[in-house]
Amino acid sequence: MTDTSLQPVPGSGPRTRSGTGASNLGDDPAAPWRRTAKSGSRGRKQGVLFRLRDEIPLRHRILLAVIGVASIFVFWLLAATLWSSGNVLVPTPLAAWKAFIDYWQSGELSTDLWASLVRVAEGYALSMAVGIVLGVAIGSFRSVEAFWESPIGFLRYIPATALTPLFLLWLGIDETPKIALIIAGTVFYNILMIADVTRAVPRELITASYTLGASRLRVLTRVILPHSLPGIIDVGRINLAAAWLMLVVAELLAAQNGLGYRLVQLQRFHQVDGMFAILLIFAVIGICSDLALRGLRTLVAPWARP
Amino acid sequence: MTEPAVTGTGTGTRAAPKLVLDNVVKDFSTRRRKTVRAIDGIDIEVGDGEIVCLVGASGCGKSTLLNIVAGLEQPTSGRVTIDGETIVGPGPDRGMVFQSYSLYPWRTVSENVAFGLECIGMPRKDRAERVQELLGIIGLARFADNHPKELSGGMRQRVAIARALAPEPDILLLDEPFGALDAQTRRAMQEFLLLVWQRTRATILFVTHDIEEAILLATRIYVLSSHPGRIVEEITVPFGANRGPSVLRDPRFLDLRDEIQELLTTQVER
Repeated sequence: MTDTSLQPVPGSGPRTRSGTGASNLGDDPAAPWRRTAKSGSRGRKQGVLFRLRDEIPLRHRILLAVIGVASIFVFWLLAATLWSSGNVLVPTPLAAWKAFIDYWQSGELSTDLWASLVRVAEGYALSMAVGIVLGVAIGSFRSVEAFWESPIGFLRYIPATALTPLFLLWLGIDETPKIALIIAGTVFYNILMIADVTRAVPRELITASYTLGASRLRVLTRVILPHSLPGIIDVGRINLAAAWLMLVVAELLAAQNGLGYRLVQLQRFHQVDGMFAILLIFAVIGICSDLALRGLRTLVAPWARP
Repeated sequence: MTEPAVTGTGTGTRAAPKLVLDNVVKDFSTRRRKTVRAIDGIDIEVGDGEIVCLVGASGCGKSTLLNIVAGLEQPTSGRVTIDGETIVGPGPDRGMVFQSYSLYPWRTVSENVAFGLECIGMPRKDRAERVQELLGIIGLARFADNHPKELSGGMRQRVAIARALAPEPDILLLDEPFGALDAQTRRAMQEFLLLVWQRTRATILFVTHDIEEAILLATRIYVLSSHPGRIVEEITVPFGANRGPSVLRDPRFLDLRDEIQELLTTQVER
């Protein structure tokens, strides 16, 4: 953008000082490394695609996104033709789509989808509730932080998936252990990340509120919470993926329905096309919830739009 | 804030002290268990309806001093009183404006100004009236429903001043409120503050490192030394309450400016 303003006037400026006039390749005998690429220009021109942290034209953005998605399908098709039989069986996208339609029309999809959605919703809602209460408290009060920091720092390094056998042993094989697993796998991330969001409330905002006569409770509810709200929604959006991870682990091991359970059933009968259909369902659920939470963020906190 | 009917003439004569700082000392402990004296033996009086300015180079603890008056920090020793009552914590009787924009980004301009009124439990209807009045004073009535990010830096600081004035504080504390603004906006804001002061007759304690700003606005100036912050001079500014930007060309203004500059320079060299 500023390139043009920096163009030197030809034949003027310090570069013609040697007197030869013709040579403007920067061939300074005292400093031969000082070469410029082209005559009649200064500075390095940057291509449009790889400028560090810089915007690219909208057309390029759309094009690259389309190519990105298309390449997944190309890769998939390629794999499907290469490994169309034997142990490593890859179904074509069409076969996966047909399996999806069958799954849908059999009515099993809605049962499984609903079972899985309810488990994630219950478990993750509880996890977020705990995360918000503890996270905001840790981010706001040094005393709460001092109390919880070490226990959480210790516990969160236990892989949540390692708790699966224990939870099944303790809680049986109905809904409780699945929900417990989803909580165990997400709650520590939620707490710590929400605490960080709360710590990001500017100090001036809090002190200014005090000088306006706000009590600590009012600062907490009218200043810290509203300021943290968009960040909390972001945390919820990011960690939702971990909730689905824990759900599938739980359903793979012990369940009577659900998307993860169906995956194991299909595996038993080598129905790879159906398995692929379920993988894609997970991806679609993920994209939908991501978009929904982004929408919620702009709805409740339009002031925080980047 | 008091009504425009003022006791006394306001020019030069000092009203009964409202804010009194008596031998205030503040020490900070550093990581190596050393204590550093930030401010030392500060005696300040601010009369009702005065604008008093604290001028000093960075490191003179002037912000610390203001935080102590606001009740955000406690002095190591000494007493701070308003109308004879000791300050133990922050309250709406001491409104404060910071250098950085401390507006609530999710609230509109009028909701920002109303925050302090909500805190003191003013009914909604009275609140709306008071906000309307203040937005008129700061000249931003048109922007009542805008959010802070839609305003310029100078406009945001005007909102911050209105917000601090809303609960009718006994004293308004300003911590380099125009420090982050460009030169033109800063000059406009200084005249704006002068106007607000002339209309409301609020008592104002003002911290700045800008000497001209101090002389233009203040009825009295305390010049502070650095490391530790001590008062080296107390100066009564000879311009009356009805002054305007024309005092910038007054020869006494220039003399005063040189005098304070001299005081601060010797402080730096010391």
